[in-house]
Amino acid sequence: MKRWLGCTLLALMVVGCGAPLRPTAPRPLPTGSVEELAAAIAADAKRSDHEPDSKIRSELAAEAGRDAEACLAREPQAAACLYGRAVALGLEARAHPMRAGELLNTMLVCLANAEAADPNYDQAGPARVRALVLIRAPGWPLGPGDAEAGLVAARRAATLRPQYPPNLLALAEALAKTGDSNGARQSYEHARDAAQALPATADRDGWLREADEALRRQ
Amino acid sequence: MAAVATLVFCAPGYPGGAGDAQPFVNQFATASAATAGWPAGSLAAVYDPTEQGGLAKLGSVDAALAFVPYAFFVQHAAELHLTPLAQADVVGVGPQERWTLVAKIGAVTGPASLAGYTILSVAGYAPDFVRHSALEAWPLPPDVKIESTGQILSALRRVAAGEHVVALLDQTQAAALPTLPFAAQLKAVMQSAPLPVAIVAVVDSRLPAARARALQAGLLKMGHAAADADILGQLHLQGFVLPQLPSHTAAP
Repeated sequence: MKRWLGCTLLALMVVGCGAPLRPTAPRPLPTGSVEELAAAIAADAKRSDHEPDSKIRSELAAEAGRDAEACLAREPQAAACLYGRAVALGLEARAHPMRAGELLNTMLVCLANAEAADPNYDQAGPARVRALVLIRAPGWPLGPGDAEAGLVAARRAATLRPQYPPNLLALAEALAKTGDSNGARQSYEHARDAAQALPATADRDGWLREADEALRRQ
Repeated sequence: MAAVATLVFCAPGYPGGAGDAQPFVNQFATASAATAGWPAGSLAAVYDPTEQGGLAKLGSVDAALAFVPYAFFVQHAAELHLTPLAQADVVGVGPQERWTLVAKIGAVTGPASLAGYTILSVAGYAPDFVRHSALEAWPLPPDVKIESTGQILSALRRVAAGEHVVALLDQTQAAALPTLPFAAQLKAVMQSAPLPVAIVAVVDSRLPAARARALQAGLLKMGHAAADADILGQLHLQGFVLPQLPSHTAAP
């Protein structure tokens, strides 16, 4: 009982980043360039973040998975495709929590490969997303969560792209999770300042809101 | 129609946010009410991952039932007037589990050597459970501190690094200990007697006796009905047994 949800994260198998996790019925892969497929995955991820309907989230995850597969078929070592595959796996983990352990472990493999290919991709996205997975996933032995390793990854992302607010927000979250409330507050303040220095966009407003809400809770 | 009773699930220290868990506990409430022969819709469920949040929900007058880890039960049974109905049978663990105290190898040889130490555990929010249930056989020195942590891997790293901390692990955590790269620096120095894993209890006699008996009978049947397997499996359960509480457990 007490392991509900963690409960769902016991099957911790690590499989290769490029391998499909489940056999799927043969169907044509999406077409498009690596850049177009990566953009489609990013769009699915953004939409999924705000989608309350679990069925639609599941469809978005499947769509992102097909795009990632097509991307990897085109350029197996491209950071954009490896990173896109990781993002698609994250969407799938959210849509299918019973398989989240397996999916998150594979996601971490993909992120490591993407970081090796290009650590600066998506404003140090591989390290930033890695940090968020390690911070938020259930910890040992139920899942891959490891707050200290998450902090190391968050520091890496913030070092690579120190003015990108999501990197500072991830660092703040990692510091809070590892007990450094002062460091977390400073990082949230840096994130807010960095966001305020950017032109007004929906993303910037979201980062500002996240920083402000966290600072109010501190 | 019978009044709607609420079943409060609370598992401090374990993963799972309220939003994530709610669909599963809803399904469990529907299935257990049906198995008990209660009218449809007469049992609601709510999940809270925190001790304080769980206590607040259990304080509500419609909170007739609690589904809590045994540590929570030991810590709060008396104040909440919890009367056990059934004991969870957990997949991979069973209805009972042993807790294991883990120290840096060579550092702890008996209870007295824990003087000045801090015990870190997912059950650290329940010091009565730690002292009088899990470590009943090890009378702790008065200066031992007990702290709650959801970061058991970090706690074990601190143990291995030689800090004055030990970790009290549940059965799943203890079984996974050999998988850690620094496992050779750790030693299990004490193991508890078998203790219940989780308890379903009536809160403060808020459920009429006949309804409680019907629910108990329904819960005990759940593990044997194929239709319930998926619902139980989502909560990592395989059924329920009658409560088998250790004799030292405080009576409500």
